[in-house]
Amino acid sequence: MRFSEANGQKVVSTSDAVTVAKVAGFVVDPKTAQVVALRLKKTEGDADLLLWTGVASFGPDAVTVASPEALTRSERGDLTRPVVGARLLSERGVELGEVKDVEFDPATGAVRALLTKRGEIAGDRMMGLGSYALVVSAD
Amino acid sequence: MSILMRATEVAKRPVVTLLGEDVAQIKDIVYDGNGGHVAGFTLAGRGMFAGPLKTALGWESVHGLGPDAVMIASEDVLMAREAVVDRASRTPGGGDVLGSRVLTETGTDLGKVVDVILEVGSELDVVGYEVDPPEGKKVFLPLPDTLAVSGEQLIVPDAAREFVTDDLAGFGAAVTAYRARFEGKASP
Repeated sequence: MRFSEANGQKVVSTSDAVTVAKVAGFVVDPKTAQVVALRLKKTEGDADLLLWTGVASFGPDAVTVASPEALTRSERGDLTRPVVGARLLSERGVELGEVKDVEFDPATGAVRALLTKRGEIAGDRMMGLGSYALVVSAD
Repeated sequence: MSILMRATEVAKRPVVTLLGEDVAQIKDIVYDGNGGHVAGFTLAGRGMFAGPLKTALGWESVHGLGPDAVMIASEDVLMAREAVVDRASRTPGGGDVLGSRVLTETGTDLGKVVDVILEVGSELDVVGYEVDPPEGKKVFLPLPDTLAVSGEQLIVPDAAREFVTDDLAGFGAAVTAYRARFEGKASP
């Protein structure tokens, strides 16, 4: 599944069948190439984050959680920098374009590939995501 | 495959950590004692009004030098500016030869040095100069492995002219051929 397809999906609590939020974005840990949390919008209250461990199921049409308590609030210092739109830079100092979309495994949260205009870059090549660039290992 | 680049192109390049933060940009290149290698870089801050930094980058701490950025493991590898600047050439000229005239051993003026050509490998090697000749367009002139540069001009063997090329892509091969021929002379 791609981030662009998953964005805007509703987050439904299975305990009371209520839509509790919509997916607004993804928090990726570049070192482990994993989606670690979903950024949320349209929540009640001040929750804006759903940790991946709180996801019951990431389906084709909705994300389910056991209960609304799964939703949390991001704290200052949480790494919520978006991967999509980031400048890609190899560890050899060569720019590789911009991340247009991300292919991930909805079952595990593993980032399979970063999609650019020029092609795909395997997710496990990610080394670090900073304010300047997403650095990837040389192939 | 060797990667060649102009020294002037390296200046202003951002210095980026493997975590993706741009911590500085290259200000000047510091050449080592005999001017044959790059010892490191002085740094400036990022942004329009940023000035020179008190830290510098030794070549041994460069993780990767590419056309778009100079990569370092982390900001911790930067050292005091003096530590890098002290490695610089004591002789006048050194690697800082821009504007010098190139003369052959028999006294032909090949032109004025307008840029330094660097080869990226385990070392950052000065392999040639871009020279603006008295007539015609700019050419690339290969250098022996070590070269004593002094004063306002530098002397190259007459045969260096045979290896002059106007194409940076083909220059790597010219350097290799030139150095193979002068191997005996190039060793100290």
